[in-house]
Amino acid sequence: MTGISSAPAPSPYRQSLPALLGRAAGQEGSVRRPIAFLIGAGIIATLITHDFIRGSNLNELLISSSFLVVLSVGEAFVILVGSIDLGVESLMASFGMLAAWLTVFHGVPTGPALLGTMVGAVILGALVGLLVAKVHIPSFVVTLGTYWGFQGVALLTNGGSYISPSSVTPARPFGFAVLADSTLGVSNLIIVAVGVTVVAQLVITFTPLGAWLKSIGSNELAARRVGLRADALKVLVFAVSAGLAALAGIMMTAYQGSIYPTTGQGDSLEAIAAVILGGIPFTGGRGTVVGAALGALLIGIINDIIVLLGLPALYEYIFVAAVLVVAGLQARGGFLVK
Amino acid sequence: MNAIDQDHRAPVLSVRGLVKRFGSVTALEGIDLDINENEVLGIVGDNGAGKSTFLALLTGYHHPDSGEFRYRGHPVRITSPARTRRALGIEMVYQDLAMAPDLSVWENLFLGEEIKRFGILSSRRAMRARAGEVLAQMNTKIRPEWQLGQLSGGERQLVAIARGLLFDRDIILLDEPTAAISVAKADDVLNTIGDLHKRGKTVVLISHRLEDVLAVCTRIAVFVTGRVAQVLDNRDLTIADLIHAMFGGAADRQRAQWERRQQPGTR
Repeated sequence: MTGISSAPAPSPYRQSLPALLGRAAGQEGSVRRPIAFLIGAGIIATLITHDFIRGSNLNELLISSSFLVVLSVGEAFVILVGSIDLGVESLMASFGMLAAWLTVFHGVPTGPALLGTMVGAVILGALVGLLVAKVHIPSFVVTLGTYWGFQGVALLTNGGSYISPSSVTPARPFGFAVLADSTLGVSNLIIVAVGVTVVAQLVITFTPLGAWLKSIGSNELAARRVGLRADALKVLVFAVSAGLAALAGIMMTAYQGSIYPTTGQGDSLEAIAAVILGGIPFTGGRGTVVGAALGALLIGIINDIIVLLGLPALYEYIFVAAVLVVAGLQARGGFLVK
Repeated sequence: MNAIDQDHRAPVLSVRGLVKRFGSVTALEGIDLDINENEVLGIVGDNGAGKSTFLALLTGYHHPDSGEFRYRGHPVRITSPARTRRALGIEMVYQDLAMAPDLSVWENLFLGEEIKRFGILSSRRAMRARAGEVLAQMNTKIRPEWQLGQLSGGERQLVAIARGLLFDRDIILLDEPTAAISVAKADDVLNTIGDLHKRGKTVVLISHRLEDVLAVCTRIAVFVTGRVAQVLDNRDLTIADLIHAMFGGAADRQRAQWERRQQPGTR
């Protein structure tokens, strides 16, 4: 993506091999790195098992990654300003349960149920943003609170049990189950995930919002001095993150045909890993939303490899840990460890 | 650019009785100062004399506890940096430059004042082109798409000054513009300040580098513990003159105190 390039005439200090490799893969924040990782992972996966490259497997891969992609796009907004949202997995579970609860137990029509869920999530996200921006509680602490608190909410919604259409008799289907259907042969889940990513990236690139968010992550004092309303922007990013977490929850509910309170456990950290892998540094300030989506896809590939190899699902944690270390190293720029 | 009645014989900015306290510390004890059109006004003084605070009040980053501002003879309230830039045409270049190192030069230049189409779409090409024009006008080789964090201190300083030219601001405030730069680059900055003066801009700069102050300023205001002690025309001034103005008063008072103590019976 254009807009920034490196100044020419590299200093004599930066000619080591890791630095050169780093430069070949594009500077920090560019979308070339996650693409490079993705291609590398795809090649490794294909080498491990030819089943990977089969159309049906790739389709399943895209569908099962769609939820993490949506979560990661929301997380990207938060990390761009230099904050963090640890609570997205619990919001996903809670608001997925809310949509199911409204639809199944209270017969709320699909439209109002989804609208109410999304609006509720956005308002909650805005509250989180206010606690961070105005009350000055670090985002790590506030979202650790939502992580725990909303896990509780999800559990309490149906007494710790899942919600499905047959939770009542006669069974009431999820009106939004259509999300899991296909349009023109492509799963709606993939369409939604791609749509969210594209719209988010277009907004970041082609409206001033992108520069505003990055400036807060890069130098918040500078952003305030030129008159940007940093507090309002922080409220916005947490609202976006919560809204997209709710969307991911609704998507998951439609896909599974039911929603468990423990849905999405571990997804907060995977979303954060995806964002870092995608090129947004931990402190924010640069990077792309598309990169975060590709990072989510990369994690999806890793999970797919584990399944294809028949390894226990526990291996997922080890691989994500390795991915996170790699992400952390490359986010420092050129594999230099400080 | 503004709807305020302009009295062109009046100083472009006037300050009377400016007081600013931070808790129990009084940074400014009543500043009276005129800033004239198209001058290069230097502000010198010891650390803690109130120089940076004064500039922060001029730019709206802090608000005074009392005092008044006049813009071309007309009383104004200076409320926020954003409004000061737009309404009064004042551009502040901070000591730490107030720029985002991860963003490009053109993104930094236009931050908060982007050129837009249809109200929300960024005109990236137009911004990049306009930034390129201004940088070329300043005779630098800096390109608008370079990442700001990769520029040297002197180059960043020039970019910060470019913001004033970009939006055609008339009053440029500089806080220690040559402090953190190499000698060679400092000359570039001083030349740029000279250019601003030639273009009819009004420049106010704080500096502890007295040789730089003498090189570019037309008048020099000396701040001593929160007040304007003297304002000197830069005619045959030397560094020694400035140092005496900054500290001489205190040295004289200390000597007078000491002499008094030498008199018998005054303890």
